[in-house]
Amino acid sequence: MKRKRWIVIGAMLLGVPLPAQGRPITVTGVRGVTFGAVLPGVPRVISRTDPANSGQYDIRGPNRRQVLLSFVLPLSMTGPAGALMPLSFGASDAGYSQSQAIGSQVAFDPKQPFTATLSNNGRGSVFVGATANAATNQRAGAYTATIILNVTVLP
Amino acid sequence: MRSITKLSLVVAALVLTGTALQAQTNNASITATASVQTPINVLGAQQLSFGNVFPGVNKTVVAMDLTNAGRFDISGQASTPVTLSFTLPATLGSSGNTMPIVSYAGVHAQNSTQTGGIGFSPSAGASPSLNASGQLWVWIGAQVQPATNQAAGVYTGSIVMTVVY
Repeated sequence: MKRKRWIVIGAMLLGVPLPAQGRPITVTGVRGVTFGAVLPGVPRVISRTDPANSGQYDIRGPNRRQVLLSFVLPLSMTGPAGALMPLSFGASDAGYSQSQAIGSQVAFDPKQPFTATLSNNGRGSVFVGATANAATNQRAGAYTATIILNVTVLP
Repeated sequence: MRSITKLSLVVAALVLTGTALQAQTNNASITATASVQTPINVLGAQQLSFGNVFPGVNKTVVAMDLTNAGRFDISGQASTPVTLSFTLPATLGSSGNTMPIVSYAGVHAQNSTQTGGIGFSPSAGASPSLNASGQLWVWIGAQVQPATNQAAGVYTGSIVMTVVY
């Protein structure tokens, strides 16, 4: 009797990672948004389809599951001595690709949550572009900001 | 047997509940980076000076005249192209009197001695590049055309140069 009980408990515990429950969601920041040289007074636009300068995240999770994508977007980039440079995101500055190909994205507004479906093998990629708005008197130097992507598996 | 079934259900419920309560959210961050270049600075370094002008006698100051041509000094990002545009007065004024100023000419160079300088028409503008130290010099010349009955006095006008990357 006790032996059978332990067998059942063991079986149930082993059952936790069964494929039917899917793999856990993972998100990886692959590439940052790179504006490169920015001239004061001249807006610098990076397209989400720019293969070298757009930002990219790769997602891995349960096969064919819907996920909710939401960004935490910075308003500005921080530079030397705390100088700020405004950063803006347009309504189609983000894109989702189930095939993880930059050339086959579905555009979405990074300021709004977006529902996407992972591929048959549980993959997807998110690309993001932005505009750096340097003032005419923008202080020279290196500027950075952090863009966070949250991914939630929908029930 | 019954106790095993009950236990199984309990464990199953715990496992399923536990699975459902597991956080199915994850996130990652990327960095946006930019390198802001040096802002443009423009200095009106020397006035366009016609000196003494006599009624009925046109007087020209050529852009190559390092002493009398107007000069703007520009500084900014090294080796970077800029666009020059000008607001040019059609007349100089003095106490309500005017004197035509025409035939503007310009020279831009990457040094203050005009070596290798390039002539251009200020009314059309120009697109030179700053030198390796981020500097550029621009000279402006023109011609004034005093009438034969031009009133005596000091005549002035403003020439505005705009520089953008």
